[in-house]
Amino acid sequence: MIPALPYAHALVAKQDLPLPAWLFAWAASIVLVVSFFALSAAWRKPRFEEERWRPSAAWLTAVLRSWPIQVLCGGLAVFLLGVGIYSGIHGTEAPDRNFAITFFFVTVWIGFPFASALLGNVFPPFNPWRAIARVVGGAYGLLARRPMRHLAYPERLGRWPAAAGLLGFVWLEVVYGSSGGVAVGLEPHAAGVAACVYTGYTLAMMALFGSETWCARGEIFSVYFGMFSQLAPFGMKEGRIGRRRPLAAATRWATSVPGSTAVVIASIATTSFDGAEDGAYKAALEHVERWLTDAGIGPLATIRIADTIFMAATVAGVALVYLLGVKGMRSVPGAPPFRQLVRGFAHSLIPIALAYLIAHYFSLFVYQEQAQFTYLLSDPLGTSTTNLFGTAEYGIDFNALSPNAIWYVQVAALLAGHVLGLTLAHDKALVYWRDYRRASRSQYWMLAVMVAFTCFGLYLLSVGAS
Amino acid sequence: MSAAIAIPSAHLGHWLWVFYVIPVLIVVGGIIRSTRAEKKREREDKRTRGSR
Repeated sequence: MIPALPYAHALVAKQDLPLPAWLFAWAASIVLVVSFFALSAAWRKPRFEEERWRPSAAWLTAVLRSWPIQVLCGGLAVFLLGVGIYSGIHGTEAPDRNFAITFFFVTVWIGFPFASALLGNVFPPFNPWRAIARVVGGAYGLLARRPMRHLAYPERLGRWPAAAGLLGFVWLEVVYGSSGGVAVGLEPHAAGVAACVYTGYTLAMMALFGSETWCARGEIFSVYFGMFSQLAPFGMKEGRIGRRRPLAAATRWATSVPGSTAVVIASIATTSFDGAEDGAYKAALEHVERWLTDAGIGPLATIRIADTIFMAATVAGVALVYLLGVKGMRSVPGAPPFRQLVRGFAHSLIPIALAYLIAHYFSLFVYQEQAQFTYLLSDPLGTSTTNLFGTAEYGIDFNALSPNAIWYVQVAALLAGHVLGLTLAHDKALVYWRDYRRASRSQYWMLAVMVAFTCFGLYLLSVGAS
Repeated sequence: MSAAIAIPSAHLGHWLWVFYVIPVLIVVGGIIRSTRAEKKREREDKRTRGSR
């Protein structure tokens, strides 16, 4: 039996579950409540404030940061970016046959968050724009005999440019490319042009503010992947690779840089919208599209306007749930100012963002990577004119994952993400409210936030599959 | 006769979201209840201390 094609991003076919899907939401809520009380009873001192940093052997850092490795990784990244742009612009217009779409929106966009959460911040050596900027900066230094001068980055902006860029990137993929029928519906030509535009914009910003500063604040991919790397048990400190307590680095990620909360909220909301577009929102979207059509707007513009409205509403909804949770915390005596709480607890959403990403995209990733490493690599243009590695005739094995297995992975990911989020939030509350009773009381509201996000996530997945 | 008692299940799917909202409402209800109870207890403690 061959299951249906993965039309919606995460889902393959209807599951044959022993229980109704909504019972999983109830069970997950019970697990969260039990975890909350267990944390309140047994976790009375903050543990994530100290990273417990253990540097690795010096030779390991020396090898991994050596210039041949840097050149190799950077060169490969620039080459693949070039292949992506070229195949996007000159290849087939069928998104599922063109290297550019799967490479940009699946291999990179989904692969790096998974890798970063496991191994730490692995993206910088593979950042093609950083590699170009470093070569240009080095050449300029040699010719001008002085390092390139940059403007001071306005710290008030923080990570806001990355948050806006993240919304823009997902809008391009999900709303502008909304066509249905394939995993990513964006026309490869549009993806190629967008990659060119983004390359120009990023290099200009790097020239203005410096490549490292822009990567830390405004470069969408660096900030987004870097956010997930805060969960990893590996990191880099003072130029040395080492091990640390998993999740501990996340505690400081959002506290000092404005816009960090927006990045993590945008991440959860855009993933949710992508999952809901073909499922939970479908009927409501059709209603709005009918109104817009009646108002005399063209069919394509109608779809894009309706999707944009719903995407904005999802971002606002996710932000509202989080802010209500923080507002509830603020009512507990001894609470710090509202703004400090908003930033202080934003890191507890990072495991949830990762959980949403796994739940919504892991099956897509498994299927599309089969395409990526077989026929897309052999025939990047999708024009059946090349067979570079002899794998152009291969296909995707849709039996690689059963619908039930996908569902259980989704439930497990959502549950684990929310329990970790609850743990991080509880730990932070112990820092702000030294008294553990008050800390636990403040977290009643975060428990409600976590239960709401879990049930919402499972609802999106169950509706998408039915 | 059996047709007369058949449940019109075609539109049940539209109300599936209710099952996902129930746990959230239970948790929020529980939080509001316990927060009120704690505030009441705090007020009574203050009053008791004031009367001494």
